[in-house]
Amino acid sequence: MRWSSWVIVRRGLLLLLFGGVIIYSLFPVYWMVISGLRARSALFKPLLLPGPYAMQSYNTILRLTDFPTYYVNSIVVALSTTLLTIVVVTPMAYALVRSRLPGMMVIVRAMLFAYMFPALLLAIPIYIFLVKIGFDDSLISLVLTYCSFTLPLGVWLMWGFFKSFPFEIEEAALVDGCSRWQAVYRVILPITLPGVLTVAIFSFLLAWSDFVFSLILITKDELKTLPYGLASITDAYDANWGELMAGSTMIALPLLVLFVFLGKYFIRGLSMGAVKS
Amino acid sequence: MATLRRSASVALPSPARVARVGPLERRERKLFLAFLTPGLVLSIGAIFLPVLYAIQLSFYHAESFIATPRFVGLANYVQMFADPRYWQAFLHGLVYAVSTVCLQVLIGIGIALLLHLEFHGRNWLRGAAMAPYILPTVIVVYIWKWVLDVNHGLINTALSGLGLGTVEWFGTPLMAWLSTIFVSVWHWTPFVTITFLAALQTVSDDLYDAAAVDGANAWQRLLYVTLPVLKPVLVVIIMLRSIFMFNKFDIVWLLTAGGPLTATEHLPILAYQKTFRMFDLGGGAAVATSIFIFLTLLIWIYFRLFPIEEHG
Repeated sequence: MRWSSWVIVRRGLLLLLFGGVIIYSLFPVYWMVISGLRARSALFKPLLLPGPYAMQSYNTILRLTDFPTYYVNSIVVALSTTLLTIVVVTPMAYALVRSRLPGMMVIVRAMLFAYMFPALLLAIPIYIFLVKIGFDDSLISLVLTYCSFTLPLGVWLMWGFFKSFPFEIEEAALVDGCSRWQAVYRVILPITLPGVLTVAIFSFLLAWSDFVFSLILITKDELKTLPYGLASITDAYDANWGELMAGSTMIALPLLVLFVFLGKYFIRGLSMGAVKS
Repeated sequence: MATLRRSASVALPSPARVARVGPLERRERKLFLAFLTPGLVLSIGAIFLPVLYAIQLSFYHAESFIATPRFVGLANYVQMFADPRYWQAFLHGLVYAVSTVCLQVLIGIGIALLLHLEFHGRNWLRGAAMAPYILPTVIVVYIWKWVLDVNHGLINTALSGLGLGTVEWFGTPLMAWLSTIFVSVWHWTPFVTITFLAALQTVSDDLYDAAAVDGANAWQRLLYVTLPVLKPVLVVIIMLRSIFMFNKFDIVWLLTAGGPLTATEHLPILAYQKTFRMFDLGGGAAVATSIFIFLTLLIWIYFRLFPIEEHG
């Protein structure tokens, strides 16, 4: 008798804790989605359940502000950053693990070091330099700047990935008469895909979410990306909370979708990044 | 296993290769160099040159982004170290980093232990616990500013509904600090949760079985088995989080902009203010360089504690 009631208490306590974790993690997200969808009249009522729905907030932010332009800019910038990072990082990490050239560990260490640099320390000199050569306020320089944090992270993740890689397969391909290039292309790349995907997700996330670099490098309204764009909407249009939450929901949506479908790679990247040593 | 095999395959052919570099080897070297070059060029251009430029600029005086800087030696540093505002910001940064990291680690480990239990829908719950981390910082800030809004926010509406009166969550220095720390902890705790959870899965069940045979209860198993085994991972997590939290600019800037007045101003915000609001570019660069030196010290300790091994 005593035992079974202890089980019930234990179960109840665990359920309470699980509920706590869910509310702690998801309630603010729920509140964002709901606030964006509520009619203006319902916005200030302390109801946990939505009042009358309206697309009012979405209409306002999509029609009266430059939000759609910011959205296009963000897609272009985030995708370019992702592509550039993968194309540069994958061969680099492969060479770092496989080449046996001198100084490879120095590069790996330097990249991990660079990964910890403060964003501001990089953004300020880059901005001053870009102003000097007249290349500030451009999406291309924004993409190149984003490589200052996607490259170190990407090299670090891919280096770890290649290190734990069964290179016997590649050796076998080499023995069978493949050139190094063929071995990479036919054997390595297909198995590398999960690692590449992890790097891609993080590059996209970092570029999509960045506020600091666009705040410092971009001044023209038509070149702003989403996070900075949303922040400047607050200042310029005196947007209300419903509109801000509608904008936030639209910014978060691609990330939430990515996470639902590719969460596995995301979690792997986090674990690899920190549990390495 | 993988390590053994790899080092074996590395070790075997090397004596012959040291002896003479054949044409094949030379062609391979060219391919590898081609693989390395774009990444090296981009990292030097986007990371290492800017850092050097910032350090150089900290020895110059410049009042605009286009003017030619004038060399002033250590004047920026002398001025900076004599400025009480600098030391206040330094202290703020320390308090912010230490408090957020401690809370993230405690809450993160707690949630990780909970999600390590076996139950239905565990993966679903793990996904849910990640949500705060994947949201962009700007959105995290706006959600919480809305929830904590003085007049119409959910919390204050609920408080006044209960007859408790409202709280100005960002109005006083103390409340601004507490709110900023809370939002930061909420945003980045999942990093600790997920990394610690991954580490938990590497702890062998044999250890727990042995402890159970010795009559250890759940609390003792955590204290004497789990935590000691995972200590290296924990130190890595704490180091990484400390470095990142000490660097955070956007979340504090968007929440309080360093205010009220300079109550929540830490070094990254001071560097930004000096550069873009006071147009003291050299001074801003000096602050940024001082952050850099402090962090380099931390990272150096980190590398001493956890050297990256060639065959690790």
